[in-house]
Amino acid sequence: MKQWVRHFMASGELFIWGCGAGLSLSLLMIGGLLVLILMNGFGYFWPADLVELTLKDGKHVIGQLAGEEVSPKGIPRIRIKIGNRDLYGLDYRWIDTDQIVERATPADLVMVERREWGNFYGRLRTLTKEDQPVTEGAEAVWQSLPALIGQTKTSEGDSLYTVLVADANAREQSIGLSQVVRVLRPNDLSTWGKLWVYGGNVWMVLSTEPREANTEGGIFPAIFGTVMMVLIMSLVVTPFGVIGALYLREYARQGVIVRIVRIAVNNLAGVPSIVFGVFGLGFFVYGVGGTIDALWFSDRLPAPTFGTGGILWASLTLALLTVPVVIVATEEGLAAVPREYREGSIGLGATKWETIWKVVLPTALPAILTGLILAMARAAGEVAPLMLTGVVKLAPAMPIDWTWPFLHLDRKFMHLGFHIYDVGFQSPNVEAAKPMVYVTTLVLILVVVTLNLTGIVLRNRMRRKYAGSAV
Amino acid sequence: MNVPPLTPVSVFPEEPSPGQGQAATPTLVERLLTRRQIRLLTDRITHFIIKMGGISIMLCILGMCVFLVKEVIPLFLSPHATPIEPIQLSPLDRPAASTLVGIDEHQELAYVLRDHVLEFVFLGEGTAALSKVPSRGLLPDGTVTALARALGKGHSLALGTGDGRLIPVTIEFTQDFHDEARSIAPSVRVGTPIAAAPTPQPVTKLAYQSTDSEVRIAALLQDQHLWLTSTRTVSRPDGTTAASTVQIDLTPNVPGRVTALTLASRMELLAVGTEDGKVYHFDLRDTAKPLLAETTQASEQGNTITAMAYLMGDRSLVVGDAAGQVVVWMPVREHPGTNQTRMTAVHRFAPHQSAVTDITISQRDKGFITTDAEGGIRLHHSTSAQTLLTLSPKLGSLRSAYFSPKADGLVSVSENNHLLQFHIANPYPEITLATLFAPVMYEGYERPELVWQSSSGSDDFEAKFSLTPLIFGTIKGTFYAILLAVPLAVLAAIYTSMFMHPDYRAKIKPTIEIMAALPTVVLGFLAGLWFAPVLERNFPAMTGMVLVAPFAVAASAGLFLLLPASIRHRIRPGVEALLMMPVIIAVVWGCLATNAWWESFLFNGHYKPWLQTHLGLNYDQRNAIVVGIAMGFAIIPIIYSISEEALTNVPKNLIAGSLALGATRWQTLMYLVLISASPGIFSALMIGLGRAVGETMIVLMATGNTPIMDWSVLNGFRTLSANIAVEIPEAPHGGTLYRTLFLAGLLLFIATFLLNTVAELVRQRLRKKYSQF
Repeated sequence: MKQWVRHFMASGELFIWGCGAGLSLSLLMIGGLLVLILMNGFGYFWPADLVELTLKDGKHVIGQLAGEEVSPKGIPRIRIKIGNRDLYGLDYRWIDTDQIVERATPADLVMVERREWGNFYGRLRTLTKEDQPVTEGAEAVWQSLPALIGQTKTSEGDSLYTVLVADANAREQSIGLSQVVRVLRPNDLSTWGKLWVYGGNVWMVLSTEPREANTEGGIFPAIFGTVMMVLIMSLVVTPFGVIGALYLREYARQGVIVRIVRIAVNNLAGVPSIVFGVFGLGFFVYGVGGTIDALWFSDRLPAPTFGTGGILWASLTLALLTVPVVIVATEEGLAAVPREYREGSIGLGATKWETIWKVVLPTALPAILTGLILAMARAAGEVAPLMLTGVVKLAPAMPIDWTWPFLHLDRKFMHLGFHIYDVGFQSPNVEAAKPMVYVTTLVLILVVVTLNLTGIVLRNRMRRKYAGSAV
Repeated sequence: MNVPPLTPVSVFPEEPSPGQGQAATPTLVERLLTRRQIRLLTDRITHFIIKMGGISIMLCILGMCVFLVKEVIPLFLSPHATPIEPIQLSPLDRPAASTLVGIDEHQELAYVLRDHVLEFVFLGEGTAALSKVPSRGLLPDGTVTALARALGKGHSLALGTGDGRLIPVTIEFTQDFHDEARSIAPSVRVGTPIAAAPTPQPVTKLAYQSTDSEVRIAALLQDQHLWLTSTRTVSRPDGTTAASTVQIDLTPNVPGRVTALTLASRMELLAVGTEDGKVYHFDLRDTAKPLLAETTQASEQGNTITAMAYLMGDRSLVVGDAAGQVVVWMPVREHPGTNQTRMTAVHRFAPHQSAVTDITISQRDKGFITTDAEGGIRLHHSTSAQTLLTLSPKLGSLRSAYFSPKADGLVSVSENNHLLQFHIANPYPEITLATLFAPVMYEGYERPELVWQSSSGSDDFEAKFSLTPLIFGTIKGTFYAILLAVPLAVLAAIYTSMFMHPDYRAKIKPTIEIMAALPTVVLGFLAGLWFAPVLERNFPAMTGMVLVAPFAVAASAGLFLLLPASIRHRIRPGVEALLMMPVIIAVVWGCLATNAWWESFLFNGHYKPWLQTHLGLNYDQRNAIVVGIAMGFAIIPIIYSISEEALTNVPKNLIAGSLALGATRWQTLMYLVLISASPGIFSALMIGLGRAVGETMIVLMATGNTPIMDWSVLNGFRTLSANIAVEIPEAPHGGTLYRTLFLAGLLLFIATFLLNTVAELVRQRLRKKYSQF
């Protein structure tokens, strides 16, 4: 046995297994993280059943199950989303399982999605029109509601109809129909019905504006702001990156200076993004923006137009941040263009520019695209520099609208990454906001990972294509 | 090789090839230039454009550094004063017993009060005088014997007369705008006299403070009696007002001859300086019963105390004596934990050559100006303990001085009736290298400390701009991140490049690259909102995992080797990592399930009190472990990729040689591959460090952002980068805070640039070395 142990240690097999453990731990961490985000993110849209609990003290609780655990005292308990923030003040509640007498999922329970105060869970009672009862009884009200919700949205009157609802313990509450987004009976839905609602929820989050201090509703402005900013950034970073790379690879005399510059460009990619933010704030916002204001918008001073954060400055800052990515990738692409191509072109009498424009650049195009896509992915995920150069928690207007000049580069904008930070860490009701943060995270990760995968696949394909032919 | 079809380029441009659709009618340009010339011209122009563009991009990168430096430099420029031509005032009939000078906030209109004569002097160049304000006597009988000014905003003065009365005087400046031109007009309000003492005596020294409802005066009379007078005006419901006055003789408390008096701006403190160098500190919070709180020997040589003033905030007292010494005293807690304080000489400044004649304080910060009997003027700053400016106009002893309300100018009057004026540019008085990096004695602290606290609710707050706690936080965060990331990433890289089955290797690399692309805001959010509470609940289990995992790995490796060879050989080599996955999952799950057991086994029941009593550690929910793991997560991919590249690039023939000579794959790794690749791994470490140093969102979200200096792994911290993100939205453009944050940015820039350069140089050298094989 002793000998075996000595042999085992000497062979180093143990350490090889240790190395393997390091890798598998890393992989498990990534996997776990993705699973966590996917589960929480996709779970948000599912219309879970409403459960009615009867407790030992005779009270009733209605809500959606949101997890279970063993409490620090060793008692198993469940977490339930009870909603009705206007009545209870809390969104979630822990209930010890030994307190529960009965669990039921009655079909008549409704979930009322409201513009304010979050969801209401309970039962329908009466529908009134200008204080006159129209219909009574849960079933009748349920039948007449869908048509009315559509109407109150279009009519200008403030809550023409009011619906009286009751919570688990028959406490009544009236809700103006103009406040209601949707009424659902999740327990009454078939799986297909739930899937339909699920799809609707996904679409709603992607296409509508946020409500309730960003903790509910959609994230459309944030998606739009992110895309807009990345697009403006790409418009700036592509020509600059390509020109920089062309200069370094094709025009500059290769020597010590170019080597130093190349190292500097590489290093710029490693400079913390917050430093770019500081630079953007000082140079673009206060420097360039302040000058523009003084020259052309002096009538509006001291209220700044360009002298404050805006989508243009944020995009430019990120362009500076990502230009090394494009330069490095383009250079790599230029270096990979087989020498025979150039020689052929020059030999046929083309000038240097014609060779570059018609032969070298088209060949290096995949590399340039890769660089651009990776730059876009990096830009989409950056938050710190944006916080200094123009991102806001709630933008009053989009950077594009129907008023002249249509594209408003001076406007502040919303961003998915900042949305995560803001909703998760700055909102007054973090517990209630968490699901929204997971959804935003999911969308952001999907955007970034898709961009990255495209970039990586493109790059690998290109490398394979030119492998061997590179000089 | 498949060459893509080349775009046809015409070889003989003079003869247009039939394929190219040449316009039938040549354009204007084509008529002037041949096609060949156009082509050459285009080539020339694009050459120029690309060269210019390329150079300007490179300059841009350089410019970024220059710009940051440019924004920081003003912090360290020494202040300077611009003297304005002194104005000779007409002398009085007899030398003035007492003099006071002041100026409005735009430094345009100064007033000089010599005994009872008040004069206004227009100094503003662009501003027209509304009317010439003649000098005038404020009192008909003209026997003013002492003058005093209230500290703080506005110009509230008090006159002490020869017949023992005290007369409050308020001077106000009103601005007027006529057709864009600003004009300024003074107004003078003389209040009702108050008797300085029960029996009339000439007043020789005064200290004065007033608010809307309350006036407090300390008056020294000719018979050396010191009287404290407090008058409170109360509005009655019927609209009339009633004044209640309390007068107390403080003489019994002050044995020596009184030579200087000063009242704090909130009227709660009175300092009395004597001929033998003592200062008596009175606590006036109870109006009826002033309390002699403390007596200090302010001048060790026993020099006469000649001038005193409380700095903004009423905590620090500046004392000047006849030998020209200037010392700032402040109450310092005697023993930690008690409230007993003792006045202590904290900052000593370079002494004047002669007696200090007046001290005037800044209404903006902890700065003050002292004047002396030979006409010297000095500008000091209390926090930084620095004398910032020394001026010597040499126009005779300076009687009175006034630091302009915006702390950007000074007026003073000499015994020869010269009115001196200086414009002072001193925008960043509190910043020196010492206040940024070394411990500083702040008001209310027991010893010099390193503190970052840039703002507070009150105006008279002493800003604390020490970057050291933030640098400490940065290093701490980086350290814990590296501690987790380097072993994991390097082990994973070794395994992938050396031992892993090639089929899997091709799939692992992109996965890790995706991990590198995860936005850090996502990691920060998960760390702060998901992992921090999970860790808090399962801290004992997590500790258990760290203890159990190595044994579990070793045990499973041993068990695998004990398996019969027939089974072992059926498993393809290079899949150890996959086999480890269930083991790790089992360890994690097992420990989490037995959390309660671990808690009683390791921590005797409850881990928080245990840590508190046994190790003296406080558990913060968002602590360095959380940040270390989240930030480790962020830098694992980059360290992994670079180390993996370095390991894979070790020439294959060397490895083959080693294995052929009979070394095991572990020996080959240890004695050949690791040594050859160590510079590459080092460079990976450098780049990982660079990433961790500048990471913002993770630390912002996963720590409490408290700028404390404590190595404990269970505490939070604040880093330079998070500090910038937290504070810069509130920093006014061009202010001290703004520039200090730029300095923080510059430090980060330099640190990461250095780290990356080292890494890059090492890598290049390594590449050259490998290319020999």
